[in-house]
Amino acid sequence: MKNGENYNTSRRFFVKTVALALLAVPFLQACQEKVIQVLIRLSGTNHILGHRLRTKNFPKPTKQIHIPYLIVGGGISALSAARQFSKKGIHDFLVVELENHLGGNSSSGENKYSKYPLGAHYLPLPNKSDQELLDFLEEEAIIQGYDHKGFPIFDVQQLTFAPDERLFYRNNWQEGLVPKTGNTPNEDAQIQDFFLKMSTFRAGKDKNGVYYFDIPLSKSSQEPSIRALDKLTMQQWITQEGYTAQPLLNYIDYCCRDDFGLGIKEVSAWAGIHYFAARKQDTAPDGNDTVLTWPEGNARLASHLKKYTHSKTLTNHIVFDVKIENNKVIAATFDAQNQSSLEIIADKVIMATPQFVNQYFFKDRKKITKDFHYAPWFLATLVVSELPDNGSFPLCWDNVIYGSKGLGYIYDQHQTVQQIQPKKVITYYYSFSTLEIKKNRRLLYSQKENYWKQIVLDDLKMAHPTIESFIEDIHIHRLGHGMISPVPDFIFGQAKKEASASIDNRIFFAHSDLAGISIFEEAFHQGINIVNTILDGAAVD
Amino acid sequence: MGKKFLKFEYLLLFAVFTIATCGLVYELVAGTLASYLLGDSVKQFSFIIGVYLFAMGVGSYFAKFLTKNMLNTFVEIEILVGLIGGLSSVVLFLLFESVYSFQFILYLLVFITGCLVGLEIPLLMNILKDKVQFRDLVSNVFTFDYIGALLASILFPLVLVPKLGIMGTSLFFGMINVSIAIALCFLLKAELKSVYLLRTKAIGAFLILFIVYLFSNSILSYSEGKLYGENIIYSNATPYQRIVLTHNKSDYRLYLNNNLQFSSTDEYRYHEALVHPAMSMAKKVDNVLVLGGGDGLAVREILKYKDVKHVTLVDLDEGMTKLFQTNSVLTKFNQNSLNNAKVEVLNKDAFVWAKNTKKQYDVVVVDFPDPSNYSLGKLYSWSFYSTLKQILTPDAVVVVQTTSPYFAPKSFWCINKTMMEVFPQVDAYHAYVPSFGEWGFSIAMNGFQTNFNTVNRQVEGLRFYNYQFDKFNYFAKDMISKDIEINRLDNQILVRYFDEEWGKL
Repeated sequence: MKNGENYNTSRRFFVKTVALALLAVPFLQACQEKVIQVLIRLSGTNHILGHRLRTKNFPKPTKQIHIPYLIVGGGISALSAARQFSKKGIHDFLVVELENHLGGNSSSGENKYSKYPLGAHYLPLPNKSDQELLDFLEEEAIIQGYDHKGFPIFDVQQLTFAPDERLFYRNNWQEGLVPKTGNTPNEDAQIQDFFLKMSTFRAGKDKNGVYYFDIPLSKSSQEPSIRALDKLTMQQWITQEGYTAQPLLNYIDYCCRDDFGLGIKEVSAWAGIHYFAARKQDTAPDGNDTVLTWPEGNARLASHLKKYTHSKTLTNHIVFDVKIENNKVIAATFDAQNQSSLEIIADKVIMATPQFVNQYFFKDRKKITKDFHYAPWFLATLVVSELPDNGSFPLCWDNVIYGSKGLGYIYDQHQTVQQIQPKKVITYYYSFSTLEIKKNRRLLYSQKENYWKQIVLDDLKMAHPTIESFIEDIHIHRLGHGMISPVPDFIFGQAKKEASASIDNRIFFAHSDLAGISIFEEAFHQGINIVNTILDGAAVD
Repeated sequence: MGKKFLKFEYLLLFAVFTIATCGLVYELVAGTLASYLLGDSVKQFSFIIGVYLFAMGVGSYFAKFLTKNMLNTFVEIEILVGLIGGLSSVVLFLLFESVYSFQFILYLLVFITGCLVGLEIPLLMNILKDKVQFRDLVSNVFTFDYIGALLASILFPLVLVPKLGIMGTSLFFGMINVSIAIALCFLLKAELKSVYLLRTKAIGAFLILFIVYLFSNSILSYSEGKLYGENIIYSNATPYQRIVLTHNKSDYRLYLNNNLQFSSTDEYRYHEALVHPAMSMAKKVDNVLVLGGGDGLAVREILKYKDVKHVTLVDLDEGMTKLFQTNSVLTKFNQNSLNNAKVEVLNKDAFVWAKNTKKQYDVVVVDFPDPSNYSLGKLYSWSFYSTLKQILTPDAVVVVQTTSPYFAPKSFWCINKTMMEVFPQVDAYHAYVPSFGEWGFSIAMNGFQTNFNTVNRQVEGLRFYNYQFDKFNYFAKDMISKDIEINRLDNQILVRYFDEEWGKL
C-alpha cells in the first residue's frame, strides 16, 4: 500500500461525492426552480425621451449658446464629422446627443466578466480604394503599417481569432456559416454557382471602370442594368436566377436579416448582392474575408472617434426644434438632466440624426420619411457558467443556428488570449424581419423581460438544450429602430435624395440611413463628406 | 420413494456444484481485487488462497458441532455465503479508502466466506450419509466440488471479468448462490422446518443482491482503473484539468486530462533535453522563466546550475503546483524544486501574465500541453512569441516543447516557423523518450552574440544530454514537413495540423 494516503483521499472523496450526490438529487430537483434565479435587465435606446418629439411638450428655452458648427446626434456619422472638422483645423463645434453616451448603434455594455456590444460589433477589412478608412485605421494603430507588397498589416489581436464562425445545422455544429453537411449534389452545385456569381459581381466594373458594387455605395456604378436590380426583391432575383436549394436560400436570407434587418422577401436585390459583392477582399494578401472585431464591438471604433469630441459634447440633450432665422440656425434643445431648455445658435448644423427623427423638425418631411423602414432589433447578453453542446465543433466568435428566427450569438470573450474564462459571456441578436414594422416595435416595447428571455432560450436550446440551468444573468437591449432596411426602390429612390438635400446651405444631413444601408463605413463617410461639403461651400461663399 | 430420493440427492449435489463454483469465484474476486488495489499480485493471490483454504478447514472442523436441523442450517449457510460472498467485492471496493483496516476487512471477508463454504461440504455429507452409500457419497460430493472449481477458474478470467466486471461477477454468483437456496426452500419444503421464514430470508437476500447489482455499473463507471489499466494512486480534478497519477512496478505516470505527462522511468530524458541545451547556450542564466511545467521537473534540472539566481514558474493550475509541492512521492521526483528558495511559483495565465510583467529573463523554458484545442493554440501563436520577446534580455534563449516531429511533423515545423518570424535565430532538435516516442523542441536566441553550439556552462551527472547539441538537431526525412503556414491567432492553423496529424493515429 505505497502511497495509500493519496489513494485514500481520492477514494474517500469519491465515496463522499457519490453519497452526497445521491442524497442531494431529490433536494436539488425540488428546489431547482428557486436555485436558478436569473438576473434579467432590460435596457434600450431612450425612446421615451425620443417620443416626446411627437408632442414637443418641452419647456421654453431660457438661455442661449452660440457655436459656429452644431452636430445633432452622437452616432458614428456625427463622430466622424467631428473628426473631420478637427482634421480640417476646426474645433469650434458642439455635439448634442439625447442618450447619456456617444456611439449610437456602436455602443457597448460591460459586466464583471467582459465588455459586450449593444449594437454593431465588427468591421470587415476595408477595400483598398477606401483610403479614408485605411487612414483612420492606421491612425488608431489597427493598421500597424504596410508590407513590401503594399498590403496593410492589421493588428492580429484585432482580427477575429480562429475559429471564427460555426453553424448548427442538421443537429451538429459545422465550421463556417454556409450549410455544408448532408447537402444533395444539386444543392452544393447551386451554392457554388451562387458564390461564383457573387465573385463576378464583386470583380465586375462598368465601361468607365467603376465597380458595380462598392463602399461607400455612392461610389457604385450608374450602369442601368445593375441599378435595375434595386427594383426587385432579393427573393425575386433568386427565383429569376433559378436558385431553389433551401440551404442556400436560408443562408442568403440569414445574411440579409443580419445586415439589413429584413429577409430576402423584403430587401432589394441590389442591396442583397451588395452585401456579397461590395467588399473586394483586396487588403488581405490571401484574399480572405476576415473582419476586425472587439469584445465591445464597434464601440471600440466609436471610442477612437470620441476623442475628437472631448469637451465639445452635450449628452442627455435632445434637440426638439430646428429653424433658420437671420442667417443663423436656431436649435431648441431640452436638457433632460436639468429639465430646462436652451437655444443653440449656430452658423451651420449637421443633422447626424436618422430620418425618423428629422421628420419632427422640418416641414413636409413626414412624406419623405414614409419610405424609410427601420427594423426593430433586440440583443440579449447572457452570462453563463458553462455553455455545453454536443461538442461537434468548438465555440466560435459567431455562432448561428440554422433555421432560427434569431441571428445567432457572438462569444464576447473570443478576442482574449486567456486560457480559461470563469464565466462565458455571449450576445444574442434578434431582428424583427417582417414588414409589420410598427406592430413589431409595439411588441418590443410592450412585452416584459421574461417574454424576450423565453424567445432567446427557445432559440438557443436547439443547439444548447441545457443552457437554461447555466444562465446567471441576462441583459436585454432593445433597439426600436435598429437599422435602415433597404427595401426595393429605396437606395436609388427619390425619398433618400430629398432627405439628403441641405437646407439653405445652413442645415446639412448625414446618416447611414441616407446611404441606404447601416454599416460603419457608410456612417463614417457620411460624416467626412458632409464636413467636406460644408467647408467647400464655405470656400465658395 | 426411490425416485423422490434421487431427486433429493441430485438436488443437493447440484447445490455442492454451485457452492464450489461460487466459492472459488469469491476467492478469485478477492484475489483480483487485492492485487488490483494493493498491487503485488503473486503475494496477494498466494495469501488469499492460503487464507481461504485454511478458513475452509476451520469451517469443516466446526461442521461437526452442527447436529440439529442440518438441512435448515445448510440452506441458511447457502444464503449467507451468497450474501457475504456476493457483496464482498462491493464492500472491498467501497472500503478501500480506509487503508489501515482494508487488509483486515479483506482477509476477514475471505475467512468468513471460506468458513461458510468449508461448513457446507461436511454438513451435506452428514445430511446424505444415511441415504447414500458412504463410498458413493464421498466420491460424488468431491467430483461435483472439483468440477465446479474447474468451471469457475476457467470462466472467471475468460468470460466473467470481461463481461460482468469484478463487482458484477461476485454479485451475479451471489444471486446464483441464493437462488439455489430459494429453489431448495421450495423443492424440499417437506424436509425443512419453518420453511416460510427461510423463504423470506432467501428472497430478501436475493433482492438485496439484485438491487446492488443494478447499481454496480454506476459504481464501477467511476473506476478509472478501466481507463488506465494501471494502479491509480492519486486522482483529482482541478478547475483546469484532471490529474491522475498511476503506479506500476517501479514506474509512476502522470496523466493530465488522460494525456501522459511523464513516466518516472524516462522523464529524465525529456527534461534534460528540454532544459540543458538552453541553459548551456545562454550568455547568463540569472533569471530563468518556466511557463507551464507545474510538475517542477524542468525546474529541478534548472536548479542544477548554481549560477541561477531566480526561477519564476508560471503555471495556471494551482492544484498541480500544490500537488508537486506537498505530495511526498512527487517531491521526490522533482527533488522538492518547487519549494526551493530561488523558485517563485505563480498560478497565472501565462499569456496574460507575460503581457503584463515588467521583468526580463535570460532563459525561458516553455512546457505547455500540446496544442490540442484553440485555447492552447494561442500559446503557440505569433502573438504569444512576440509577447514573450518583450520580456527577454538581449541574447536570451527560449526553448519550447513542440510535440513529436515523427507523429506530427506539420505541427512541429509550424511552431518552429512561427518562432522564426519572431526570433533572430531558431533551431530545432529532438530526443527519444520511450514512453512518448520521438519528441521535439524548438530553440531560439534573442540575438546573435551566441550560437547553438556554444556551451557556456555545464553540470556533471546528467544521464542523457551530453552538451553536444549538433548530435540532436539532425532530422531524418520522415520528420520533415514543408509548405507550412505560420500559426496566427486569426488562423490557428497549428490546431488544425495537430488535429489532422494526431487524429490519424
